[in-house]
Amino acid sequence: MKSFSIAVAVFLLAGAAALAAAQEPHKGSPPRTPWGEPDLQGTFSNRTITPFERPANVNGREFFTKEEVAAMEKRAQEAGGDDGRAKGSRQDVERAYNDFWWDRGTKVTTPRTSLVVDPTDGRVPAPTEAAKMRAADEGKRPAFRGAGASGRGTDTWLDRSTFERCITRGMPGAMSPTAYNNNYRITQSPGFVAIEIEMLGGTRVIPTDGRSHVRSTIRQWMGHSVGRWEGDTLVVDTTNFTDKVLYRGAAENLHLVERFTRVGPGEIEYRVTIEDPTTFTKPWTLAIPYVNTGEDMFEYACHEGNYGMEGILSGAREEEKAKP
Amino acid sequence: MSCDRIAAAIAAAVSLAGAPALAHHSFSAEFDSNKPVELKGVVAKVEWINPHTWIHIDVKQPDGTVQRWMIEGGTPNTLLRRGLTRESLPVGTEIVVDGYRAKNGTNRANGRDVTFPGGRKLFMGSSGIGAPQDGKDPTEK
Repeated sequence: MKSFSIAVAVFLLAGAAALAAAQEPHKGSPPRTPWGEPDLQGTFSNRTITPFERPANVNGREFFTKEEVAAMEKRAQEAGGDDGRAKGSRQDVERAYNDFWWDRGTKVTTPRTSLVVDPTDGRVPAPTEAAKMRAADEGKRPAFRGAGASGRGTDTWLDRSTFERCITRGMPGAMSPTAYNNNYRITQSPGFVAIEIEMLGGTRVIPTDGRSHVRSTIRQWMGHSVGRWEGDTLVVDTTNFTDKVLYRGAAENLHLVERFTRVGPGEIEYRVTIEDPTTFTKPWTLAIPYVNTGEDMFEYACHEGNYGMEGILSGAREEEKAKP
Repeated sequence: MSCDRIAAAIAAAVSLAGAPALAHHSFSAEFDSNKPVELKGVVAKVEWINPHTWIHIDVKQPDGTVQRWMIEGGTPNTLLRRGLTRESLPVGTEIVVDGYRAKNGTNRANGRDVTFPGGRKLFMGSSGIGAPQDGKDPTEK
């Protein structure tokens, strides 16, 4: 009986030590899967109130001051009510509904003044001349290629964005924060990493077994991804995008290199370098914290009740009838 | 830099950073900013669906008849994550809707501001884990 008690005590102590170790920030190498790869698994959120591009008025500073961070977080906590919203404006209608439905976050998850970390000015590089010419011709395409909450018209559902059509926010749009559903689940098995995306649903299955990209004639909304481990970082190379959706003017020539690095027990740093010489005058990089939430993921069956599309198109027909 | 100038710089940085992101689809394309509506009714049905929740309410008319309206909210996922379900808004609950009518002329509106008759917001103060707080609800801490 005594030896049993000692065994229990030793077991409990070992468990407590393991727990303490798990809660400490990483010193050295991150946890590993049973088959020896860096363990990135968990559920994460990338919501943040850090601006995408560096605001002009921080005078080129790379980091916010503590006072600025505190002010931004305070404002995010307090913002969002309908007080002071001018009624009867398009902008007010676009705000849609009460703030309790939104989940933009209230934290400056990185004190950087922009998620864009390269170029050093924190701004997306200028578009190429070719990109500007394509943009001018967008209206001639069979379907709108934008991925935001908007459209180019209301004649047909094809005039609405791929986001409104419940298809995709594009890449790396699908890996970037938006106003809600900023949740991701990473699971691993030997030779594969899967990333489940809550907003619009879908799972990226990324092989890490050394295979190469599929042939260039195969084009996908989310591109084709292959991964590899560089030290403790998962590096994912994605090409083979379709020409049917735009990411800031880029489509089928987009090439992404993503880097997932566990920077602590509760956080992965996600970096993505965006390259397309036909669209951007130089490659650029985003760095977005993915913070562990330990929360469940929920299905976002967008087509289930997309009454909004019906409302937009039928609303336009009624407006046409009302015109003299 | 003077204190005033620092404060101004912070305010400017904050205002830029705080620009709101938008919903899954364009609400200004669906609802008419020239047709604001104020509706008081009782919950008849809650469609706890994606991309957006729809709350059906019965609104009593001056002549005693009842009109059914559909009110568009946001994704249920955000509330579900805070422990709220469609059962959190039982059938028969009286609510007040401030919104804009659908452009297609049907009895649909967006739930710009949905409250209980006393002004307390729906879905607030129930469990509220990390819920955005706007300071308007007196029950918020």
